[in-house]
Amino acid sequence: MSSGSTQRAVGDALAGFERHVTQDRVDAYAEASGDHNPIHLDEAYAATTQFETRIAHGMLSLALVTEMLASEFPESWHKGGKLKVRFSAPVFPGEVVATYGEIISISETDEGTIATCSIGCKKPDGTDAVSGRATVLLE
Amino acid sequence: MTAPLISTAVVCHEFGPYDVTIPAGRAIAYAEAVGGSESPAYGDTLAPIMVVAAALAVLIEDLGLYSGGLQTIHAGQEVSWARQVRVGERVEAVGRLAANSVRRGNHFATVAVSYTDSDGVEIGTSSTTIIVSGEVSS
Repeated sequence: MSSGSTQRAVGDALAGFERHVTQDRVDAYAEASGDHNPIHLDEAYAATTQFETRIAHGMLSLALVTEMLASEFPESWHKGGKLKVRFSAPVFPGEVVATYGEIISISETDEGTIATCSIGCKKPDGTDAVSGRATVLLE
Repeated sequence: MTAPLISTAVVCHEFGPYDVTIPAGRAIAYAEAVGGSESPAYGDTLAPIMVVAAALAVLIEDLGLYSGGLQTIHAGQEVSWARQVRVGERVEAVGRLAANSVRRGNHFATVAVSYTDSDGVEIGTSSTTIIVSGEVSS
C-alpha cells in the first residue's frame, strides 16, 4: 500500500545513519539528561558491574533513533509521534552504532494516514542495542 | 541503610511533580551528545526524548537506584508526544508506578509519566520498564 500524497509505501527504508558513540558523547549526555549514574561515567565503578566497563546510556541510543525519525518526518514526528522499544544490549563507548528503520504498514485513521515503522539501532556486530516500533502521521 | 524506594513502593505510588524544564546549557549538551550532520535543525525547540530522559534521571534517583549494590537495566521505553517543547519552557512531570514485581530476586518495575505544560495541558507521556538486581530488600 502506498500513501498517495506523501509517496510513502510499505517497505520504504528510513534514512539511517552511523554514529561513533565516544565517551565524550556519553559525558555530554550525562550533562544533558542529568543521569550521572557511575556505570556510564566512572570506569573504576563500572569495572565492578556485570558489564565490566562503562556503558552508554540506553536513552542515548534511543535518542539517535529519534534523530532519524525527526529527520525523516520533520513536520509530524514531534507532533503525535509514538514509539515503543526494548533495550537488548549495551553500547560501549568507542562503538559505532547504526540506526535503521522501515515502514511496515500504512493505515487510514481518524487522525489521518499513519505509518508504522520498525526502528532500531544496531551495534557493530549487527545485534540490536535498541529495537521496536514507531508510529507517525504521514505528511 | 534505608531500603531503596523500589523495594517498598506499591503500584500507583506517585512521583513528583518534577520540574523538567530544559535550559539552554543542557540543550547544547544534548546536541553535543547526540548530534551530527544528519540531525534535524531544532532551533529553539527540544527533542522530546530529552525531556523524557530528564524525568527518568530524577525518577531513578527517587527510586533509590543509585544505592550501592544495585544494578539497574533499562529494559523498555514507550514515548508519545503531542507537540514540540521550547528550550526553557516549563514542563512538569508526574510519575506513577504502574507495576512492581519480584521474580527470581530481580525487581521488574514500570513507571508511567505524564508531562504537562504551564497551562496544565498534557503534552506527552512515557512509560519506562526497568529491571533491578542486587541487594534490594523486599
